[in-house]
Amino acid sequence: MDWELILERARRAAEFCASSGLARFRVEEDGLEIEVRRAPRSERAPSAQTGAPASALPSTNGIRASEARPLSIVRAEFVGIVRLARPAVSEGAEVGGDRELAYVESLGIRNPIRASAPGRVVAVHVSDGEAVEFGQALFAIEPQ
Amino acid sequence: MLRKILIANRGEIALRINRAAHELGIETVAIFSEPDRESLHVRFADEAFCVGPGPVARSYLNIPNILSAALISGADAVHPGYGFLAENARFAEICADHGLTFIGPAPDVIAKMGDKATAKALMHDARVPTTPGTGILSDVGAAVHAARKLRYPVMLKATAGGGGKGMRVVREPGELEHAYATAQAEAEANFKDGRLYLEKLIERPRHIEVQVLGDTFGNVVHVGERDCSVQKPSHQKLIEEAPASELAPATRERLHDIALSAARAVRYTSAGTLEFLVAGDDVFFMEMNTRIQVEHPISEVVHDVDLVREQIRIASGEPLSFAQQDLTTRGHAIECRINAEDPSQNFAPAAGTLSDVALPGGFGVRVDSHIYAGLQIPPYYDSLLAKVVAHGATREEAIRRMDSALAETRIGGVHTTADLCRSVMRDERFIRGGVSIDFLEAFAAPAISGS
Repeated sequence: MDWELILERARRAAEFCASSGLARFRVEEDGLEIEVRRAPRSERAPSAQTGAPASALPSTNGIRASEARPLSIVRAEFVGIVRLARPAVSEGAEVGGDRELAYVESLGIRNPIRASAPGRVVAVHVSDGEAVEFGQALFAIEPQ
Repeated sequence: MLRKILIANRGEIALRINRAAHELGIETVAIFSEPDRESLHVRFADEAFCVGPGPVARSYLNIPNILSAALISGADAVHPGYGFLAENARFAEICADHGLTFIGPAPDVIAKMGDKATAKALMHDARVPTTPGTGILSDVGAAVHAARKLRYPVMLKATAGGGGKGMRVVREPGELEHAYATAQAEAEANFKDGRLYLEKLIERPRHIEVQVLGDTFGNVVHVGERDCSVQKPSHQKLIEEAPASELAPATRERLHDIALSAARAVRYTSAGTLEFLVAGDDVFFMEMNTRIQVEHPISEVVHDVDLVREQIRIASGEPLSFAQQDLTTRGHAIECRINAEDPSQNFAPAAGTLSDVALPGGFGVRVDSHIYAGLQIPPYYDSLLAKVVAHGATREEAIRRMDSALAETRIGGVHTTADLCRSVMRDERFIRGGVSIDFLEAFAAPAISGS
């Protein structure tokens, strides 16, 4: 799924969570799972109380819109079949820079896919056993 | 019959193969480089895989990614088109190792014919007339000795050569040492093989080639000849015609016979072309191209044969769909290559975005092209934009039809060869017919020098 779309849905979930006064809100749709939790008061951005939409976001599971940093996109270099590492890396997981996230099997060779930098996985764009092409985005990582 | 073909190419030839496959009910898989993502060959194939970035070494020559795309898409064959991997015997072999049918001749035939000196020796043994010359030269000393025996002028050629690279005309003994060094360096740089051989220079020859087809049952036919004498100074073809004009019937027949016996001698399968230099009644074998060629459409229209379809049928293990006696020559066809090149800058390739595209059509006009308005021409690939083919009942009619087709050809945003081709159609010597390979150089000299 498109990263922009995911972010937009997460933002809306966060807005709903903030405006409804819920502490925790979880939604599952089209295979996408978004969970939003209200941060303890001390952590919340001051503007959150004013209800301004963009900066009012409580921290979400792996997404903090108020401190969005350029994402590091991990791409396939080889045409092949992607095999996710076990246990599978899920969105929100913190990964080290050398963590093997998956491998792309190409002509019987396992080509490891590693996180380019330590950070938090914010998107897993592929599912296990999927065919991937050169340059295809596999993971989005928010560097730490 | 094959079920699914991976097309290991781009541009107009990828589209050409895609059409032939679909007509036969065969699915297609396209490969593309990152800058080619919006290409028509990607759009019209059933599946497509990006195999690498722009530079050819990392995309269209990326054998692991291309093979992987073929395997994961479930393709059972690979069509290499022309250029790129088309004459790479190792690639053909690797395809076979992975259970993929390579649509072309056997790997050992590609290897033998791809090495020019070996091919020449092989043809010599098959009693095919070859240009007087040497085998591979050990060093410049051997070249000096051999050139004296052949008598000047001579031509130095790279055994791995093609496209005019690694070739030098040597008219006097004093020029040989320098020519040897530069030809060797050029061949080394382009083909990673600096080995050279020497040939007697045939003065003002014509370039005439014969199309052959062979199937796995041992049937071999020729599909007539093509005259490709209108070449750029780099010996790259610009205008081709079929049949050759101003050719004695006996010479024509001889060319066809030689081509057939040469193809039989190597048990040739698939489509191939034997190139000859023709000077008067003398014919000399030059090289064999073990692939479909750019200029194949002119043979198709005058003989009413779909050569790419035959290639696919042959690779599927089917016999040729016709015999020699079924073929007739209908009229005359001319092809002009519309390249993104500036003839006034020695045909320097022009990259850019096509602002405007209008291609010709009508009775007897065929255009093989992948271009559209807004297409960006990447700098990495050959500059061919369109092949305009005009077919007429006579050569005269074909020339006039081409002239008006070229007048309708509008490509904005880059320099093209269209106007130059059109002025050739109006040239008296060209209209008379039978020009030699130095024709364009003399014709376009004012344009080429930029004055």
